[in-house]
Amino acid sequence: MDNSTPDIYEKLVQYLDGELSDDEKNAVEQQLSADSALKQTYDKLLLAKEAVRQFGLKEKVGGIHHHMMKELATPVKKISTAGKIIRYTITIAASVLLLISGYIAYDFFTLTSEKIFSSNFKPYNLSTVRDEGLNEDAFEKAYREKNYKLVLQLHESGAIRNQKNNFLCGIAALELNNNSKAINCFNEVIELNKKVELRELNDESEYYLFLSYLRNEDYDLALETMKSIRDNPNQLYKEKITWKLIQEVKLLKWR
Amino acid sequence: MEAIKNFPDSELVANIRNGQRMDESIKAIYRAYFDSLSWYIMNNSGSRQDAEDIFQEVVVAFIDLVQKNKFRGEATIKTFLFSLNRYSWLNELKRRKRALVREEKYEKGQDMVEMDIGQLIAEREGKAEVIKLVSQLGDTCRKILLLFYFENLSMKEILENMHYENEQVVRNKKYKCLRQLEQMLDENPALKQTLKNLLHG
Repeated sequence: MDNSTPDIYEKLVQYLDGELSDDEKNAVEQQLSADSALKQTYDKLLLAKEAVRQFGLKEKVGGIHHHMMKELATPVKKISTAGKIIRYTITIAASVLLLISGYIAYDFFTLTSEKIFSSNFKPYNLSTVRDEGLNEDAFEKAYREKNYKLVLQLHESGAIRNQKNNFLCGIAALELNNNSKAINCFNEVIELNKKVELRELNDESEYYLFLSYLRNEDYDLALETMKSIRDNPNQLYKEKITWKLIQEVKLLKWR
Repeated sequence: MEAIKNFPDSELVANIRNGQRMDESIKAIYRAYFDSLSWYIMNNSGSRQDAEDIFQEVVVAFIDLVQKNKFRGEATIKTFLFSLNRYSWLNELKRRKRALVREEKYEKGQDMVEMDIGQLIAEREGKAEVIKLVSQLGDTCRKILLLFYFENLSMKEILENMHYENEQVVRNKKYKCLRQLEQMLDENPALKQTLKNLLHG
């Protein structure tokens, strides 16, 4: 307990709280420098104020600490619904992108001319070209019996080289993996049609010619033939030359 | 200066020094540093609870030092908090007489700024005694003193909070409470010394 009077003690508190006028403040400061007991009393007031400040600080941080421990322990709660949607959307988009990239990369490394050929080549059914009521010639007979070697032999041995026989020659050559022969046969059909100004088996020949170039890895000629088919609105095989098919052939060319 | 999210160091220090946006500033410190500081403690023999306690003390000490102009910005807040954290935890470990684990590894490159943290912060036991002493005041006294000396509210504002008859009644009550606390301190010389250290460093 100090020996200061209530009046001076009250003045000290007012001084501590910054509530005195300049003159009063100066007077208290003079008293403090002259009276060590009074100075001790004032120092104790300062310590009491500091104790309150320390307590307040601890309380303030303690309150926030409790809240922050909850927040930091459950970071997931901070994500809003919109945030979740965005996050899931990004995840899905990234997954799709990854799948597409993987698919493209797989396609790029596994794509071959043979693979495209196989998925686009269909054996030709002779019944669609044979006129009803006519006798079957040796060419047709050999083809129907799938004697493709004989078909080629007949073609080379001076049989009639009309559009039908040339076309069957081309198909037989493809069946025997003889790409260059197939190319010649189909080109003969197209040339012959040009001469006689007909289009007998012309659309079919163009399509199979494209397949022949493809398997022969003549990609420029294959693409040129594809373009010719696509550009002709009356071409029967126009729909078969898809954008994807063109890209695949282009991919093979670049690779 | 290094930024805590959208809080540059300079802004954070200015806010704390002026007692503005205190809650926001304290939360920013927690979000930026709690994980890394608690990691140090949990990798040096401490538990999660130890990490939480020490971090709380570190934040209190940091605010205290900033408000007393003892943090001058020579080090970044990050470096400063790491030093406070390390010092506080080592002291606690010594108190518990435990061996330190992986201390050397942590020391390398962590304290770029040399500072005697020990001179800046008081022992945790001493501080705990101060808190205990203030807790022993009655609820009303504690509240009035906190509102006036910590929250810096005017007598008029305290009157609105406490529902007294008039400002003079509040003033008289505050006067008595301060005197009571001063007398409680007078009876505890060790505590007075702790407070002197806190006040003057």
